[in-house]
Amino acid sequence: MADIPTFESTVPAPYVSYAGVPMESGRPDSPLTLRDVSSVTKSIVRAGPETKACHRLSTPFGAARTEDGVLIIGQRPDEWVLTGHGSAIRALTESLDRSGHISIIDGTHNSAIFRLTGAGAASVLEKLCSLDWRDLMTPDGAAVSGSVAHVTCDIVRNDQDITPSYLISCDRSYGQYLFAVILDAGHEFGISPLDMLA
Amino acid sequence: MLIVPCPNCGPRNASDLRYVGESRPRPDPNASSPKEWRAYLYERANPAGRLRETWYCRSGCRRYFALERDTVTNEFTNSPLPVGKMGKRP
Amino acid sequence: MTRLPPRPGEIIGRTRSVDFSWNGRRVSGFEGDTIASALTAAGVRVVSRSMKYRRPRGYMTNDYWDPNALVQVGDEPNVRSAHRLIEPGMAVEAQNVWPSLERDLRAVTGPASRFLTPGFYYKTFMRPRWLWPTYEKVLATFSPGGRIDLDTPHRYHDKRYIHPDVVVAGGGPAGMAAAIAGAEAGARVLLVEHFHRLGGHLLWGDDSDRALAGELVAEVADAGVEVLTDSTVTGRYEDNWIAIAQRNHPVAVERLIKARAKVLVVAPGLIERPYVFAGNDKPGVMLSGAVRRFVNLYGVRPGAAAVVFTANPEGDAAAADLERAEADVTVLDARRGENIVRALGRGKSIKAVEVADGRRLECDLLVTATGWTAPTSLLNMSGDRPVYDEVATRFFPSAPIGNVLVAGGLAGDGTHEQLIEHARTTGRLAAARARSVAYSLQAATARAKAVSGSQPGWPTDTRRSLPRHPHPPLFRSATHGLVDFSEDVSSKDMLGAADEGYDSVELLKRYTTATMGPSQGKLETVNTVAVLAEALGRTIGEVGTTVWRPPYAPITMGGLGGPMYEPVRVSSIQPWHEANGAVFMLAGQWIRPDHYGDPSGEVLNTRRNVGIMDVTPLGKFDLRGPDVPKLLNHLYINKWMKLPVGSVRYGIMCTEEGVVLDDGVTARLGDHHYMMTTTSSGTASVWEWAENWLQTEFPDWQVHITPVTSGFTSINVAGPESRTLVRRLTMDVNLDPAAFKYMQVRTGTVAGVPDCFMWRIGFTGELSFEIHVPAGYGLHVWEALLEAGEDLRVRPFGVEGQRIMRLEKGHFIVGQDTDGLTKLPALGMAHLLKLDKHDFVGKPELLWALADTSAPVLVGIQPTDPSIVPDEAGQIVRPGTDEIIGRITSSRMSPTLGRSICLGQVLPEASKAGSELTVLMTDGRRITARVMAHHAHFDPEGERVRG
Repeated sequence: MADIPTFESTVPAPYVSYAGVPMESGRPDSPLTLRDVSSVTKSIVRAGPETKACHRLSTPFGAARTEDGVLIIGQRPDEWVLTGHGSAIRALTESLDRSGHISIIDGTHNSAIFRLTGAGAASVLEKLCSLDWRDLMTPDGAAVSGSVAHVTCDIVRNDQDITPSYLISCDRSYGQYLFAVILDAGHEFGISPLDMLA
Repeated sequence: MLIVPCPNCGPRNASDLRYVGESRPRPDPNASSPKEWRAYLYERANPAGRLRETWYCRSGCRRYFALERDTVTNEFTNSPLPVGKMGKRP
Repeated sequence: MTRLPPRPGEIIGRTRSVDFSWNGRRVSGFEGDTIASALTAAGVRVVSRSMKYRRPRGYMTNDYWDPNALVQVGDEPNVRSAHRLIEPGMAVEAQNVWPSLERDLRAVTGPASRFLTPGFYYKTFMRPRWLWPTYEKVLATFSPGGRIDLDTPHRYHDKRYIHPDVVVAGGGPAGMAAAIAGAEAGARVLLVEHFHRLGGHLLWGDDSDRALAGELVAEVADAGVEVLTDSTVTGRYEDNWIAIAQRNHPVAVERLIKARAKVLVVAPGLIERPYVFAGNDKPGVMLSGAVRRFVNLYGVRPGAAAVVFTANPEGDAAAADLERAEADVTVLDARRGENIVRALGRGKSIKAVEVADGRRLECDLLVTATGWTAPTSLLNMSGDRPVYDEVATRFFPSAPIGNVLVAGGLAGDGTHEQLIEHARTTGRLAAARARSVAYSLQAATARAKAVSGSQPGWPTDTRRSLPRHPHPPLFRSATHGLVDFSEDVSSKDMLGAADEGYDSVELLKRYTTATMGPSQGKLETVNTVAVLAEALGRTIGEVGTTVWRPPYAPITMGGLGGPMYEPVRVSSIQPWHEANGAVFMLAGQWIRPDHYGDPSGEVLNTRRNVGIMDVTPLGKFDLRGPDVPKLLNHLYINKWMKLPVGSVRYGIMCTEEGVVLDDGVTARLGDHHYMMTTTSSGTASVWEWAENWLQTEFPDWQVHITPVTSGFTSINVAGPESRTLVRRLTMDVNLDPAAFKYMQVRTGTVAGVPDCFMWRIGFTGELSFEIHVPAGYGLHVWEALLEAGEDLRVRPFGVEGQRIMRLEKGHFIVGQDTDGLTKLPALGMAHLLKLDKHDFVGKPELLWALADTSAPVLVGIQPTDPSIVPDEAGQIVRPGTDEIIGRITSSRMSPTLGRSICLGQVLPEASKAGSELTVLMTDGRRITARVMAHHAHFDPEGERVRG
């Protein structure tokens, strides 16, 4: 029997931008960073507006909020994505009332999630996605889906203290491409890739 | 590029959506003549003016909905209806 | 030397000289010089040859729109040399000259030119047709444009999406004033100017003009306006989607900005219009603005003895500029009835001007100032049809839509104060309207901050309109000259075309190609209309103008393409494939191993021992809810209401037209839990299609569809030893043939990874277990299989091996062996069709298709000569004829059988087992082949998969 497996990142180092430029791993305090955070536990909850689970999650479509270490994202009408540590996710999903038309599936392996952080983060997104990234239209706590460099992504504005930060999530198979593309777009702003959080 | 008023997401670029086509009811598959069924498959009103049509918000909420659009001015003239291409409902 | 002493307002840095080359010769200019100003300062007068007649040409408008200014710079063709700044070491050359700029042997002198009248090409090169290759070679040498270097390295182009409140097109006084007022009223304003700096015509004006420009530039900065210089608004599209070509980006060669403006302010100013007379394209004939820019911006005197033909203050100012530059100046004033007839002189420069009163004035520079063209492009693109004003002798916007406002010379005339006041009011109106639009956008957007207060109203336009100054109607003199300088179209050509019946301006334009060259109507549109009006005896207003279309200024292909991001998908096993010699193929967006060096060997090893394949791109959908069977029953042609938990069923989907859409297996994992698969290529469309049915036709059905294609890494373990191999890595699944049968599914732990599921299916025709592993551990399981199966001779196989094996088994691929007309009965699988179901997609068409005995059917085919592999898509013809009765859809050499095998579609008459077929090969040979009794060439009974 093989060893206990470890979760594999979609973007193995060394990092290379889409244009083929090798990118040195940065330090977490670099002004603009991109990190693979795909190993976080994700849960996809589908529940109609009449269900108790929907009221319990109380996060409308287009919004995200944190509760007990779980980021609850109103990603689509009647659909939430929960991200966080496995134990916190489990605690929340196990507490959800299952009555009515509701389903909960593990989405941990389904998507890649990257965190783009820094004052220039919106300028990077502006090069890749046609949505309006200004505070008024995409404030902290906003959840939105859109095409990023021709890949449909779910994006949550999730500021780190006062630093703008975005969680960009795509189908796992696009992860390697999307990471390279964001590095390419962020190159002119001095972006640094960070290694995956274990 | 046209802005399409998605009932869930709000105004979006048309490229974020897929244009499904004119909204039209699906006839009864067990009681349709070939002529009726093929009218449903292939015939379009294509008016110069108001048209009820179905859109799919592909990059956003992933919902199908019907909108009424003036094909001459591109103005959307009513609020969205939650039924699309194959919808039997009014 | 024609460089003047330093003067106030010049924009060159005389302390920094810049060396570059012109046709291999070294030329020196100053920092801030354009190629045009540096060359003119160096005494160069001829910079290009005209497109058709190869006539020598010099600078005429000395700005971005100059039709004679296209040059080659290094590997870059078609550079606008009156706009592009010089850089050290830049290699500038005249383009498309042969053998040299000074002496182009293709130059056509007077009498011959009648052979190049409009329609010449259409009429002359029609016949004989066999001569066309020769014609083509000759004509190609006349095609305008520079040299394209196929070795040019890829350079970085960029894209940006922005959402400003107001975009102002044009950074002259009106544009700046509108931008300032808009920003002061709280709008986020983007000001776009196509020259290298803000100021517009004030830059080459007098002291007070420049002072005004300076004040406005400072105000623009203070007001927080975002400014883009050397950038052009190239188009306005639906709902104020604005395209901007930014040429001065620090990182990118060119950046295409797509701005969604709430309001667009159009303030491009006016473009000076040339005068039509004999010799009007000779080097030394210039427009007044060209002279003013040469003298005042670059300290360059473009001629020593000048005749200035003026009808307006701008022409008067050019004469004054030349006098200050100590040139000999003779002024001919159109307002006093004076006129010019022709420019005389050959080669490098004009020598004299013939005046209407018979005088002949010696000169080396003829300046004309005969009026203006209103560049209404962006208004045309907004749906406006400009109207002609007989008094001001130019076009004006008629009734622009509410979110497109006009300021500056396009809107009217007046003093600086009047124009600026009008523009400020325009800016305030733009900001107020933008506020109203912004409010509704924000209120309707799910994720946006909540709006406060009520929606600001839509302010009405209360601007006082600007006066319009009269201008003499000057279009053509008594002689004929060029109307379109880019395309070498003369007024005489146009009268001839009108005589031939091209009496609408849109037709005339296409027939003569006037307005269709690089200057795109900026200089020649109004003269084209005027000459046609003259020919038809109508007014300019009656003839009307052509419609201007995007782009307003050229944008590079690189700029349009942007950074060329093309998404690709990879499975979690990709690093292993890369490290182990996989030869990749692109399947849709997926990068997949085609093989690992020996596809035939991979097939044989899988048939003899065991092979593993990365089949992650297989479309996978998690279906949950009590109504899943109803949905499956509707989407598939077969029945799904009684599939037991733990079982897998194959199904085919057809469209409402009865055409085969997709196929795959679906497993029941739990009471209300199913896993559906689709073909890799059908994944996205089947998902949207299923959601469409669910959301619009059956909104009451309780089903949740979640795509999980890349959430599971899928590995097909196939071959006689597959059970032995899988058993070594699983503890909690009973793999005994009696406990885990063909077409069943089990969940369990594989190589220590929990939450895997596996099913027994047989696309390859072998005993096989398809294992689906949570993707974060996919690589781990792949490597574990290889390690655990070493003694079993496990080897990976790629897409090619799989394709061979499925063809040996006669399994069709939707889209390969079917096409957009293939209905279900053609596949010989009508037994799957369950017409007793009340309803499913395509039911009526399938019912009717069963009665159709004329449609082609899919059959197994083997060539008589087993060594010949017919081409895929090779035609099958009726023996002894060329009548097509079918085609080969798939063909391969089978390593298992040692012979070529095919699937093909043929008409029913030729589809019986044993029928002899004739197949056309691409090399023209005809080979014979035989229709087989089964699709399967190997193990038709399917004993191996059930093992």
